Amino acid sequence: MSFFSKWSSQSSTKYIKLIYFSFLCLYLITKRVYSATEEVIGGEEKVITRYQVAKFNFEHVSDVYAITLWILLGSLAKVGFHLSHKLTEKFPESCLLIILGLVVGGLLYATKLAEQKAYVLNSDTFFLFLLPPIIFEAGYFMPNRPFFDNIGTILLFAIANTLFNTLTIGLTLWGFSFTPLYGGTEFEMLHCFVFSALISAVDPVAVLATFVEIHVNDMLYIVVFGESLLNDAVSVVLYRMFDAFADMGTSNILPVDIVLGGTSFLIVALGGVLIGIVFGILACFTTKFTEHTPVLEPLIILTYSYLSYLTAEMFSTSGILAITFCGMFMKQYIEFNISKKSNATIEYVLKMLASIMETIIFMFMGLSTISDHHSWNTGFVVVTLISCTLYRIIGVIIFANIANRWRLLELKITDMLIMSYGGIRGAVAFALALILDESKIPTKKEFVTATIAVVFFTVFVQGTTIGPIVKYFKIKRKEIEEPTMSAKLTNRLIDHIMSCLEDIAGVAGKHSLRDKIRNFDRGYIKPFLLREKFLSRDEKLLSTFKKITEANFNKMSENPSFMFQSSQSMAQLNTFAAYRNQSIGNLISSGTLPFKFCDANNQWLTETTTVPDFQILNSVPSKRADEDAEFHHLLDNAMYDARRIQKIHKRSQLDEEIDPFEKNKRNAKKYGHTLHHQKPVNLRSIIEPMGGKKRSVSSFQTPRQSTDKQRPKAKSSEPRPKIENEKTKETEKKKFFIVTTEENNSDQSFNTSTQSPASPANLDTNMPPPPWKTSADDEEPVRASMPSWANNPEYTIHATTSKPEDKTRKNLFDVFDQDAQKK
Amino acid sequence: MGSSSSILLTKEEIQNIANDTGFAPNQIKRLYNRFTTLDKDTKGYLDRQDLLKIPELHVNPLCERIIEVLVDDHGRDGKLNFKQFAAVFSTFRRGKVEQNDLNSKQNKLKFLFGIYDRDKDNKINKSELLSILKMLVGSNIPEDQMNSIAERTITELDENGDLVITFEEFCETLQKIDVDEKMSMKFLT
Repeated sequence: MSFFSKWSSQSSTKYIKLIYFSFLCLYLITKRVYSATEEVIGGEEKVITRYQVAKFNFEHVSDVYAITLWILLGSLAKVGFHLSHKLTEKFPESCLLIILGLVVGGLLYATKLAEQKAYVLNSDTFFLFLLPPIIFEAGYFMPNRPFFDNIGTILLFAIANTLFNTLTIGLTLWGFSFTPLYGGTEFEMLHCFVFSALISAVDPVAVLATFVEIHVNDMLYIVVFGESLLNDAVSVVLYRMFDAFADMGTSNILPVDIVLGGTSFLIVALGGVLIGIVFGILACFTTKFTEHTPVLEPLIILTYSYLSYLTAEMFSTSGILAITFCGMFMKQYIEFNISKKSNATIEYVLKMLASIMETIIFMFMGLSTISDHHSWNTGFVVVTLISCTLYRIIGVIIFANIANRWRLLELKITDMLIMSYGGIRGAVAFALALILDESKIPTKKEFVTATIAVVFFTVFVQGTTIGPIVKYFKIKRKEIEEPTMSAKLTNRLIDHIMSCLEDIAGVAGKHSLRDKIRNFDRGYIKPFLLREKFLSRDEKLLSTFKKITEANFNKMSENPSFMFQSSQSMAQLNTFAAYRNQSIGNLISSGTLPFKFCDANNQWLTETTTVPDFQILNSVPSKRADEDAEFHHLLDNAMYDARRIQKIHKRSQLDEEIDPFEKNKRNAKKYGHTLHHQKPVNLRSIIEPMGGKKRSVSSFQTPRQSTDKQRPKAKSSEPRPKIENEKTKETEKKKFFIVTTEENNSDQSFNTSTQSPASPANLDTNMPPPPWKTSADDEEPVRASMPSWANNPEYTIHATTSKPEDKTRKNLFDVFDQDAQKK
Repeated sequence: MGSSSSILLTKEEIQNIANDTGFAPNQIKRLYNRFTTLDKDTKGYLDRQDLLKIPELHVNPLCERIIEVLVDDHGRDGKLNFKQFAAVFSTFRRGKVEQNDLNSKQNKLKFLFGIYDRDKDNKINKSELLSILKMLVGSNIPEDQMNSIAERTITELDENGDLVITFEEFCETLQKIDVDEKMSMKFLT
């Protein structure tokens, strides 16, 4: 343990406690402590066992318990590493995890607590459970555009470079078997090729783990990572082919077998891609109908993608290709179908799964190293290491130069360096080495050891130094920037211009090809797979805009003081009243109100909990807005419910997604009308923050239990029906929903029935005199109308229209009438 | 169709154009073939009608605007002769870019800017932006939403707050986009 404490010096005590705890847990499982609760049955006489109050039955849960503990250990280790910045800055996570695995494995080995089988990486577990989530996550979040822009280079590297590496490494290894370097151990040619097939493939898991941390530019990342993903098909075929050849023996191999191998490559690769796309289509098509069961959406997506992997493996095609393309295909369409929450969930779950699986894989790499199944052959290991590194570099240089002949953006020497440096081997090779059949390949132990040596070398040496190298050579980093409308628009414009020019020049380039694919997609695939019919030509452009707007709103709701720029806010807020009749849209366009929300150092809004979006600012042109009944009603329906209301828990639906009409009904039940407004929002603090009156939210909230009678009159200058007795109630009811048009004859914006859909941005100075400005006569009717834009379907998410008539409050006579009719 | 008329291009002319544009002679011959194919009446120039007849263009939402820019800005009197034709395309020629070459980044941006700027006042205003947006997105989107998108885009590009985008502002804000790479195409040799 001193090893550990030296490492994490500061935050160590907590961390070491965690480690101790996990060791204790591990000890418990591995020792297989279970209580001897069973009474011994002595002889033939049956001993009566008394009823046991408590039992300890570890056997019952042992397997699942162990798995869960491994996951926990992995998570805690990751948490622990990230508590110490020094540690994660110097060493990539993968190295730390391997070291942790080595330490734990060493302890387990030394204490002989568990059988080796229990903690040595199992190929089935690896390929069936640990690998798919990582690959799916990678495919789902694959940057499509760079991927397809570089597809030629990626394919060249994935196929040709892997083939080149396999052949050269295999030949070299075999060639050295004629020298005394291997110390007398014999390595057959085909066995060498089997080994070289598994060792020459760049590992997607290791590449991801390394490249995520160094943030190189998209192009470089996608070329290396794309290669590691797509070379799976090649390495799988080569591995299987040489394995089969080794079975058949060197003398029995006919040229036709090699041709068959080539055909098999096509089937493995194309079959995998096809299976992935088919399952992607199925998943998208299914989500077309999940409108009423949104909670199942993430699960459906996950199961379909997992099925694509399993199916591909079942047909012995490349599961990695299948699940990658399944993810890539899905992503394009599924986002339009599933709900926003499902989308967030799926992204989160994927990241979580992938990250824990990666952790476990690296940990197990360390654990599995400590075992008896090794045979260290220095000569073989050294030759393997040198040839892997050397041929990687040679291969990259050769194929990068070939790729440069058609590439627009040429691969520079530094790019090549990173590409060859990024050739990290990992757990896939290790798992493949483990499933070698020792009876057929007697040198399996040497192979496993050499694989581990190569993996450790690449992960440790290359993994730790690639960061400094990227820095030293000033390789272009990934630019993390917020999406901007102008960039999106310009990119789109460029695409169209280039495809148009290509058409005119009569050159069939990639632009016009992309345009054709896009048109096909819009014309045939999207209508088939998507729930909504697409109205616009360019949905992506619109969705970018929506995302940007949403991001702004989110920023605002997270920290309300983002709302105004600090430099301008003071002056602006003083004169805010002057703008109250202007829409925010006008403010923005006139440049008085910045659209971008920047940090503000003023503190006046910090205690606000409910933050309205723009519509609220728009539709509330006065500081007396908190007394506007309609508005409160609107908020109550549209915004977060601060007060808990007992909800009917529906499993298939999310609790928040309550039908606004249902809510209206509920309000009607509770308050006797749909227009209750007991929940004023702290708008005043936004509108007149400089008044010096800091008001907390609670001061605005009238107590919930207050009935209509008890409601403080002063709070509601806006006239409401005061229920004095039964008689007035009756008359009030009739007036309750009269739309006030008598005072505002000229204006139509309150008249929802005739008004065309409007938006808050359209509402400006020609607003009618607001309700509170009218004289507060006793007989004044209450407005039931909504702002004109409430009818606009665009805003129904935020603003739900109230029912013009409250059906739950029927006239007493009507009720009797209906009853009479029924009878 | 009219491919036989490619003979009309003499070696000298090819050399001249090659010097001006940086195209290889073979590329010029190829372009000339295409030019004569498009020029159905062998007028010696292309006009709007000729270009609009290209069937692949009909799916492109911007084709009319691009053709307008080609014919009006890069040609003369609505006519685009072969020299002008080759000059336009050389802007998008791939390869090493030197300062004053036709395919410089500046020229590419200028072409892009020209797509927006139809009144040629060297400024993009909101209505110009809006018209492009409408072409791209189609007419089914509510007017005020388009308006807010246009406003948003203008505020992003605009630096001094006058709500019009000058060419300098345009270049400045589009620094991040790899225009060089994106606006080049491959010409067969």
